[in-house]
Amino acid sequence: MTTDAAGESVARPRPALWELLFRPFGYIAGVQSLALGLAAILAAGFLGRLSYTHFDGVLDMHTGRPAPLLAFLCEGLVDWLALSIALFALGRLVSRAAFRPLDLFGTQALARWPTILATLAALAPPYQRLTASISAQLLQPGALAPERTDAILGGLLLFAAVLAIVWMVALMYHSYSLCCNLRGPRGALTFIAALAISEIASKIIILRLLFS
Amino acid sequence: MRNLPTICPSCQSQLRVARLVCSECGTAVEGSFPLPLLASLPRDDQQFILDFVKSSGSLKEMARLLGVSYPTVRNRLDEIIARLRAAEEEESA
Repeated sequence: MTTDAAGESVARPRPALWELLFRPFGYIAGVQSLALGLAAILAAGFLGRLSYTHFDGVLDMHTGRPAPLLAFLCEGLVDWLALSIALFALGRLVSRAAFRPLDLFGTQALARWPTILATLAALAPPYQRLTASISAQLLQPGALAPERTDAILGGLLLFAAVLAIVWMVALMYHSYSLCCNLRGPRGALTFIAALAISEIASKIIILRLLFS
Repeated sequence: MRNLPTICPSCQSQLRVARLVCSECGTAVEGSFPLPLLASLPRDDQQFILDFVKSSGSLKEMARLLGVSYPTVRNRLDEIIARLRAAEEEESA
């Protein structure tokens, strides 16, 4: 506990729930975030293998393509490293703050934790049946349409998976903004640039290394 | 504890010390003395600086004390440094 100038104790405010969900890196960074983030990336890889959910690009999520477990595990790591390196380079270029790479890489790893929620949504049977039905219709236009309950529940789960990806991007921006002390247009524009660069780089790396 | 006023409530200029009194014998000294640079900072910034010095300048220790992450403390310190620089420039202008 800390004290103020008059020697009175200053209570440490408890973070609100929304802050822990959307701005967690004000409270966790460094080694802790790196360890938790890597565990989350690997967990998403294991769960992804069960539903054949690929994160084959920093912002991508595709289901249905069988692959060895190692490919699913490596995809998340490639995505994380591609964006972290791009953000680190741009952060060093435009930020006047002396930031630690460990904080940026660690919080970027932890920012990917909503991919676990996305893979859980993709594991649900209605989601699986809906995506299988859509794939069949795309391949054979006369194939059976999905059942109504599958269409509704699968659609909701698909929406939840998209929300998880949006949440992940919001966490990624918070991590970058906090670690590099960049806000406003400069922070937003360099973040978008890093996202674009790393999306292309990660897609190329994943396609070349894992699926060639 | 009452806050030390540093800004003029009428024209928003920086206040100066005009009178100092000995609390023991009542001797008073009058003049026009500038406020110390740190006194021009908000009270919570002064508290941060005190805590920072007491934790031997360790940002990690500060993060632990305040229950926040390292980059949060780092950014807070950067803000205070910027405020101090602005106050220094204002003083020298």
